[in-house]
Amino acid sequence: MHIPDGYLSPATCATMYAASAPFWYVALRRVRKALHTRLVPRLSLFAAFSFVVMMFNLPLPGGTTGHAVGIGLATVVLGPWAAMLAVSIAIVIQALFFGDGGITAIGANCFNMAIVGALVAYAVYRPLAKRWPVVAAGLAGYAAINISALLAAIEFGLQPLWYRDASGAPLYCPYPLSVTIPAMMIGHLTIAGFAELVISAGVVAFLRRSDPAMLQGGASSRPIPAWAALAVLLILTPLGILAAGSAWGEWMASDFSDPAARAQIAAQSLHQPPPAHAPQGLARLATIWTAPFARYAPPFIRGVSFGYLLSAMFGTGLVMLSCLTVVRLLR
Amino acid sequence: MLFDLDRVTFRYEGVIALDDLSLSIPEGSRVGLLGANGSGKSTLLRLLDGLCFPQDGSIRFRGSELTEARFAEDDFACGFRREVGLVFQNPDVQLFNPTVFDEVAFGPLQLRWPKSEVRERVAGILDRLRIAHLRDRVPHRLSGGEKKRVALASMLVLDPAVLLLDEPTASLDPRSQSQIIDLLVEWGGGAKTVIVATHDLADLEDIADRCCVLDSGRLVAERAPAEILRDRDLLERANLVHAHRHRHASGAMHSHPHEHRR
Amino acid sequence: MSFLERTLEGLHEAMQRAFEAEHSAASRGLLQQIDARIKVLGLFALIVAATMSRRLWPIAALLALAIVLTALSRISIRTLVSRVWIGALLFTGAIAVPALFLTPGTAIGSLPITRQGATTAGFLILRVETAATLAILLVFTTPWAHVLKALRVFRVPVVFVAVFGMTCRYILLLLDTAHDMFESRRSRTVGTLSGSERRHMAVASAGVLLNRSSQLSGDVYLAMQSRGFRGEVYVLDDFRMTLRDWAALATFAALVAAAVWAGR
Repeated sequence: MHIPDGYLSPATCATMYAASAPFWYVALRRVRKALHTRLVPRLSLFAAFSFVVMMFNLPLPGGTTGHAVGIGLATVVLGPWAAMLAVSIAIVIQALFFGDGGITAIGANCFNMAIVGALVAYAVYRPLAKRWPVVAAGLAGYAAINISALLAAIEFGLQPLWYRDASGAPLYCPYPLSVTIPAMMIGHLTIAGFAELVISAGVVAFLRRSDPAMLQGGASSRPIPAWAALAVLLILTPLGILAAGSAWGEWMASDFSDPAARAQIAAQSLHQPPPAHAPQGLARLATIWTAPFARYAPPFIRGVSFGYLLSAMFGTGLVMLSCLTVVRLLR
Repeated sequence: MLFDLDRVTFRYEGVIALDDLSLSIPEGSRVGLLGANGSGKSTLLRLLDGLCFPQDGSIRFRGSELTEARFAEDDFACGFRREVGLVFQNPDVQLFNPTVFDEVAFGPLQLRWPKSEVRERVAGILDRLRIAHLRDRVPHRLSGGEKKRVALASMLVLDPAVLLLDEPTASLDPRSQSQIIDLLVEWGGGAKTVIVATHDLADLEDIADRCCVLDSGRLVAERAPAEILRDRDLLERANLVHAHRHRHASGAMHSHPHEHRR
Repeated sequence: MSFLERTLEGLHEAMQRAFEAEHSAASRGLLQQIDARIKVLGLFALIVAATMSRRLWPIAALLALAIVLTALSRISIRTLVSRVWIGALLFTGAIAVPALFLTPGTAIGSLPITRQGATTAGFLILRVETAATLAILLVFTTPWAHVLKALRVFRVPVVFVAVFGMTCRYILLLLDTAHDMFESRRSRTVGTLSGSERRHMAVASAGVLLNRSSQLSGDVYLAMQSRGFRGEVYVLDDFRMTLRDWAALATFAALVAAAVWAGR
């Protein structure tokens, strides 16, 4: 999904440009080293291909159609760095010349779809590529577009938290995370994700028959990018702290008697006042498991942000470890 | 001797494109390379332009062997690129810049000519080929004849000594064809060497004083154009003669093996 | 409408837009006369000003200004409406309408709409329309090759400018190629296809296009080498500042300053 102008504040846009710039820089250096003088024609033609493929209306299971970004396919054929650049170039041209996506939002769109998309696609594709290349490509595309959508949803959802005018009206995207995340994810987990899956898996299967040499690009880059991607995501986790108060649904039994917490719950639930007492089921089950890091803050940590960051790293580390274990077992 | 090819063999993706080919081209000659599609004409031109290198045998340009190592040397590469120009068959490959002006300016810029001189030279060649009005146009929307003239301009701006042309009149309308031929004839005078690959026999005698016939990567004949055109057997074997259908005034259609003659 | 039809229509739309932009950039309107670098800087700055504004009326004023500039640059209002406004209105309208009802705040009379909701919806729609109009002003009054070269004022590296240029040039070609491919498939398709047959068709087209792109990139590389390309990229621009350009620069600067101050 290409974010138009006006949905993100200038500060958010500038941040996303700043976040993208180092990746573009590193990508250019790596691609130069890999392609030498072939860089200009190869990147240009592939960016042109990306642009045109984004216009394809892909028939999906269930009779619907959808558009794909093709970042999974690009990563498999070109490797993550060249793919990042090629799709970024296509996005810039779409925004500038074809009015598809905003100009201030170019940084955000490139970061979500091209940069993080390429790194996620690569992280998913590379370990599985040897055994199941077609499935790996499909999953890579699916994962990439969904992570992109999640990032966009987060960018949208943070706007009303930070940017309001004097009367309290949101200046940019008016919907909070609780709305933007489900709204974006539902569409992407189903339609857009499958479009991405179809194009990545389909074209890779096609190439395996017609021109297998083209599939070499994705396997040749060093595995550092996957770690870099996760490092970036880890660093971004403190953004969660800025969603002041608890996320919708993450309440404790004692919140129902605390007036401040009650006001918050009401505000988050379209002004429906919460019940006077904690629901019985909540009260019973809440004490079964006491998490080691209650409220995301290890008891010995003082600073709130640092505690959050530590928890995030620990949590992400656990998730990563589980994924890697699953992948190892599948090999 | 300008070009000296000694038992050149070139393989591409398992297919033999040129097979044990030996050929000498003196300076100032105008050579026609005849052959059907797939006979190796384009490959030969690319080898002559130092874009690819033979697996067996050698190519020499003015005595220097053309190898990848040689082209890594700045001096040699710049000198060669200026002296030898190739016009590709497919204009979409040849015209890769955003505008006609950029296209013609590309060569001089690569040779690091000063920008003011580049602008002057480009304007001059655009005038000379009567395409000045196309200066800011996108190559995509030009007509076939206009594209070919832009391609030629982008080559001639460097004033090369050797011009290699791959099917210059292919898919052009008759008027454009004759314009291109006129241009080549006019420009080819003097010490310039012109090597044209074609399967169109019509204008051969105008543009060439020697003809080499290629068939499946081998050189099968090397003679004056008039002689080649008389040799029906050779032309048929090399697949240069085609069946020609035409309609008579009475309305009847018939076809027979036929080659174009002036 | 089948996926073939929709894809063909999309491809056709893109080609049409490119053609219209080229045609419009060649006419003798106001903005067409101004240096590309000034336009790139000025219009971008106005878009940023529209995005920054914390009040509604400066954005509306910028939109009015953009419309005036459109008229002065001989771009028909119809083009503006069909290429920019309708699409933006439908898409952003759909997103903005729920905000009318869902944004907490003071209600307006007896309607379920809050004042804050109306304000938010206003911000969204006005910003999107203004930015889109300013963007189309840039592209419809400047040949795209000049727009790309003008990007150098933003310190975009030369290699990217060259790549952008070549990408745009080949997008036009690939749009045609894809269009022809789908047209021929459509003419050969008899009756309705099953879901998997349709998917196969779409995927095969993409695969063929990819092969073609890859082959083109190899051939173009040879053509570049033949003309002396050894890796260094050079861009030659013909940008010269006239008195009119300086005046335009001053005007843009004043407008941007006013918009930023008014919207603070």
